[in-house]
Amino acid sequence: MASFAKVLSSERLKMSKTNMWILVIMSPIVSSLVGILSNIPEDHKSWGVLLMYMASVHAMLFLPILPGVFAAFICRYEHVGGGWKQILALPVKRSSLYIAKFTVVAGMLAVSQLLFTAVYLGIGFMRGFTAPIPWELIATSILGGWIATLPLAALQLTASLVWTSFAAPLALNVIFTLPNMLVANSERFAPYYPWVQPMLTMLSASSEDFGAFNLPLSQIMTIVVSSFVVFFVAGLVLIGRKEV
Amino acid sequence: MSEFVIQTRGLVKEYRGRKAVDQLNLEIKHGEIYGFLGPNGAGKTTTIRMLLGLVKPTKGAIRILGKDLQKEKLSILGKVGSLVEYPSYYGHLNATENLEAIRRILDAPKSRIAEVLDIVSLTKEAKRPVKGFSLGMKQRLGIASALLGNPELLILDEPTNGLDPSGIQEIRELIKTMPEQHGITVLVSSHLLSEVELMATKVGIIREGRMVFQDTIERLRRQAETGIRLSVSAPEQALAAAQEKGYDGVIDGAFLNFTKLHNKDVAVLVRHLVENHHDIYRVEEQKKSLEEIFMRIVGEGAAS
Repeated sequence: MASFAKVLSSERLKMSKTNMWILVIMSPIVSSLVGILSNIPEDHKSWGVLLMYMASVHAMLFLPILPGVFAAFICRYEHVGGGWKQILALPVKRSSLYIAKFTVVAGMLAVSQLLFTAVYLGIGFMRGFTAPIPWELIATSILGGWIATLPLAALQLTASLVWTSFAAPLALNVIFTLPNMLVANSERFAPYYPWVQPMLTMLSASSEDFGAFNLPLSQIMTIVVSSFVVFFVAGLVLIGRKEV
Repeated sequence: MSEFVIQTRGLVKEYRGRKAVDQLNLEIKHGEIYGFLGPNGAGKTTTIRMLLGLVKPTKGAIRILGKDLQKEKLSILGKVGSLVEYPSYYGHLNATENLEAIRRILDAPKSRIAEVLDIVSLTKEAKRPVKGFSLGMKQRLGIASALLGNPELLILDEPTNGLDPSGIQEIRELIKTMPEQHGITVLVSSHLLSEVELMATKVGIIREGRMVFQDTIERLRRQAETGIRLSVSAPEQALAAAQEKGYDGVIDGAFLNFTKLHNKDVAVLVRHLVENHHDIYRVEEQKKSLEEIFMRIVGEGAAS
């Protein structure tokens, strides 16, 4: 996989010179404001409740929208500057290119989640939480939330590859994110709706008993992993067939 | 077989039943500068895209540098530098970073970036974001990217498109040095003969997806010198008289135009006309310009 590492470092270079980092830190900043300003009742002061407050905006809005933005941007420079012809005429396996782009998108989402974790812990200590750091909660909710964004990342990357447009996949992503709150109420549909999966995963750990939130995590994860496989394979097949 | 750097056999590309490229046999030898000519939409870019593996041929075989493109695509692409249609670039990066993004994939030495920037005279502009570049500079950066991996074959699609005359001249001089100085075979496409005639050693002319001429530029020039033009008193009657002798010409105002006449034929024709009491004011050899030949080759069949 020597070739993959090369493609990855090339993609990293392209993204490193953009303003993407603003988007990466945006959600942790907004979440930290929620965490600082929210009025948590004295008798509910716990890591779980704080996570529920802080993750609500992050998981409902940012986690579904960010994969679309990152995917659109990582293809944007190829769309705009005619880069597809250039990069696909290089000795690069098309699958390596897709996987490299996916890795960068997933990496940026991971950084966003890590920052969120840092902010979350910081605010917990600031509020004087004495309970030990809830590693199990972090693993299921934050790591799980990241995994739950991967199907969307694969779907959006595939859409951005197929459409020779920067805005269309992005707009569609936002449109599908908007009804998240409604979809989340439906126990039947929510687990299958990629845009609500990050929210289900992140919030199911902190027990909120309505709609799809009381579904067992294992069931959501099974759906997440299988839809990821479907979208990812679709992307690999489509980039292989892409005519430029 | 292996003497060709590029060889295609019966190459066909169909888009929704329309043949963009039809039974194309390209033959490009080592060290040539091959001018790939044709009007816009004739199938040049489609052919080039197939050569680079960007689109799949509907039918036919492509061999590049002695290897089958379908089987050994990546190893071939490692030895080919390309610039397709308009230059590709990452506007938010500067020239060096643009080349670095490609260098990382090609695994070329870092020093190569400075070398190719120097070849295309962009060293001074290396640290400027490419979105502020003029078209000519972007075009040169595109050529620099194509040269980055030390290719054996350079495929340039309309590299002078949209450039001003001095930019065209500059790129042309650059291309001319490739075979001698770097041992690179070059395929360069254009819709204007005048752009390639000063650098190409061989030309291929494509029309409606079909190759209509493929030979050296001298051969093309030779086609230019065959016309004889007669200025006569009564063109129509003179033409009828000429036809009696089996010479078919074309009336062009007060002139009669004949093609493919040898010296002997000219003598016979003139004597015949004089004997039939036609006044001949002038007998001219018509040297058609290369451009006219090109237009004629390209224009044929356009009416039918």
